[in-house]
Amino acid sequence: MVIPGPGVSLNGEGDNFIHEDDTILVTGGNGFIGSRVVSTLLSYGFKRVRCLTRSTGKSGFLESVVKRCNQAGLEIVNGNLLSRKSCLIAAQGVSVVYHLAAGVDKTFAGCFMNSAVTTRNILDAVAEEPKLKRFVNVSSMAVYSNGKMQRGELLDESCEVEADLVGRYEPYVYGKSKQDELVLEYARTRGLPYVLLRPGVVFGPGKAQLTGRVGINTFGVFLHLGLNNIIPLTYVDNCAEAIVLAGLRKGIEGEVINLVDDDLPRSREFLNLYRSRVRDFQSIPVSYQLFYFLCTLWEKYSKWSEGQLPPVFNRKYCETYWKGNTYSNCKAKKLLGWYPRVRMDESLHKFFEYAREAKAPR
Amino acid sequence: MIRVGIIGCGKVADQHAVQIQRIPGAEIAAVCDSEPLMARQLRERFNALRYFSSAQEMLAACKLDVVHITTPPQSHFQLGRICLESGCNVYIEKPFTLNTGEAEELIDIAQRRGLKLTAGHNAQFTHAMVRMRELVRTGYLGGEPVHMESIYCYSFGDESYAEALLGDKEHWARKLPGSLLQNIISHGISKIAEFLKGDHPRVIANGFTSPFLKNAGQGDIVDEVRVIIDDGHLTTAYFTFSSQISPTIHQFRLFGPKNSLVVDDDHQLVIKYRNNEYKSYLRYFIPPFQFAWQYLGNFSINLRKFINKDFHLPFDAGMKTLIESFYNSIVSDAPLPLPYREILLCSWIMDQIFMQIDRRWPGLTESF
Repeated sequence: MVIPGPGVSLNGEGDNFIHEDDTILVTGGNGFIGSRVVSTLLSYGFKRVRCLTRSTGKSGFLESVVKRCNQAGLEIVNGNLLSRKSCLIAAQGVSVVYHLAAGVDKTFAGCFMNSAVTTRNILDAVAEEPKLKRFVNVSSMAVYSNGKMQRGELLDESCEVEADLVGRYEPYVYGKSKQDELVLEYARTRGLPYVLLRPGVVFGPGKAQLTGRVGINTFGVFLHLGLNNIIPLTYVDNCAEAIVLAGLRKGIEGEVINLVDDDLPRSREFLNLYRSRVRDFQSIPVSYQLFYFLCTLWEKYSKWSEGQLPPVFNRKYCETYWKGNTYSNCKAKKLLGWYPRVRMDESLHKFFEYAREAKAPR
Repeated sequence: MIRVGIIGCGKVADQHAVQIQRIPGAEIAAVCDSEPLMARQLRERFNALRYFSSAQEMLAACKLDVVHITTPPQSHFQLGRICLESGCNVYIEKPFTLNTGEAEELIDIAQRRGLKLTAGHNAQFTHAMVRMRELVRTGYLGGEPVHMESIYCYSFGDESYAEALLGDKEHWARKLPGSLLQNIISHGISKIAEFLKGDHPRVIANGFTSPFLKNAGQGDIVDEVRVIIDDGHLTTAYFTFSSQISPTIHQFRLFGPKNSLVVDDDHQLVIKYRNNEYKSYLRYFIPPFQFAWQYLGNFSINLRKFINKDFHLPFDAGMKTLIESFYNSIVSDAPLPLPYREILLCSWIMDQIFMQIDRRWPGLTESF
């Protein structure tokens, strides 16, 4: 059993207000982060953890959790968040909801449907639940806009959210942003007791790819775009624990909390370690100014040609991922009583080991 | 100005909206989806004037010239009918309807009301298909087609649609009379239907489940189909649908009495097979050179179109051409881009295929 974070007790005392017998729902529990959230909840000693998962036929990430816990304390509900009926079944009697399910699709409509419509369904289902104490909405740090910020400036919870995600041509983040809007709307109109979490780049065993914040391989050669930028990493187990704590702490309703680990590496350092410990490959360093210029050209060509090349590279996108900011986890530490249990050097070691075994694509 | 409405605001609607916005003189006046959030997001992204969650309300509130129906096929007939009865011309995504009976009824309503109707057979209007059609029109084949081969492959790869389909037994595509096939094969069948004579060709179909799907526990989905078609007027065709052929090719081969043509939709190539005989060893040197020259010519055409911002992805380009031709047929009373006969024939052939490969009628599949 993992020793819960400081102040966490399972009898509703202290900073914590959830009992071990309370029913906890996790959506997206079969995913990369969700399965770790389930695992953390079980290791904290919660006895009624319910997962709503699609019966995709794929084993997913939850399988190992199921094997490990022998299903003690874990209830799997097969269903689909697009079905209101499934949501009603899953939401019955819940005290805390961890909403991690998200739409990963190439289209805006697909991402919207699988992030926003699903969120509306689960919100409708839980909004009338008398026992509901907390709705933890897991979003993404990518929803912020750093367009008006200087390079190297601190990107924290006070920063504005990007208003034009269609222009940034990011269906996934668009879906996430619309999901956030719905949660805020339900908080305003129906008093939803929410906490909104925005993790940075979640990494760890289970996901072998290099984050695009380091660079891209779109054109057949790896372009190193991150250079000296700090990469806002959060190790999957640390991230999962912070998410869990966001559902347990008293008095943090309505808070928005960003999640990154301590000792964040710079892109160059991260890439060098990756190349030495996973596999070596050629990369071309490209300055931010040059890539921004190329993105400007791409964006203009896309508009001129009526989308003959979709605007996948554009100025807003370039700013978001390669302009370079600094990050803080002060609020997460203060409000959640959280600290990254797995240190950065150990996290990187585990990730590189996994990536090497998985013969990671760049 | 052509005022357009869209019913069904999912992924396919995005493709329609993008292409409609590229057509001068067309505006998206209203969008509609039974899920209001979906209608609202499409309206926001494409600056449509209004959004609705009821088709009847939209049709009553907005004066629309054309309605695009991009909902799951189970609702095509019903929605098509109410749009026609409201006085709108209608573009219905493929598959046009669930069966030929519904298709006939819709076409009948359109004709009686003096309205126009088309099906989302945009693969018929890719750049390569348009070039092929022009060659056929100018007599390149040297007469009526003798035989055709349409190969339409599909990859289960990482496509989100396939994942959704395989993972969800309740997915609408699985509930179609022809299951997965019905949502895909019209692209390959319509190519053949265009050149067949007669209304009821002989169709012999065999369908089975690939080992890939069997191993994935999806033995109820037929993903391999082989079809022989004979129109009774000396034109025959083979149709192949496969999820296992690699690469996932989309080709149409048209064999004439004098010359033949191959359309490669994946690379937007039209290759001519001329009836030129060369003596002795020359046949091994001159034709390969000519083929190389043809490929270079195709490269040149594609590049020129790209530079002139007139290429786009083949199915998007095909959709724009189809929509533009359809709107033109409404405004100028020009002929429809897809004759009703072709839509009905495509539907009829598909009905025959589904009936024969339906597991409930095993005797028919064994007779292949």
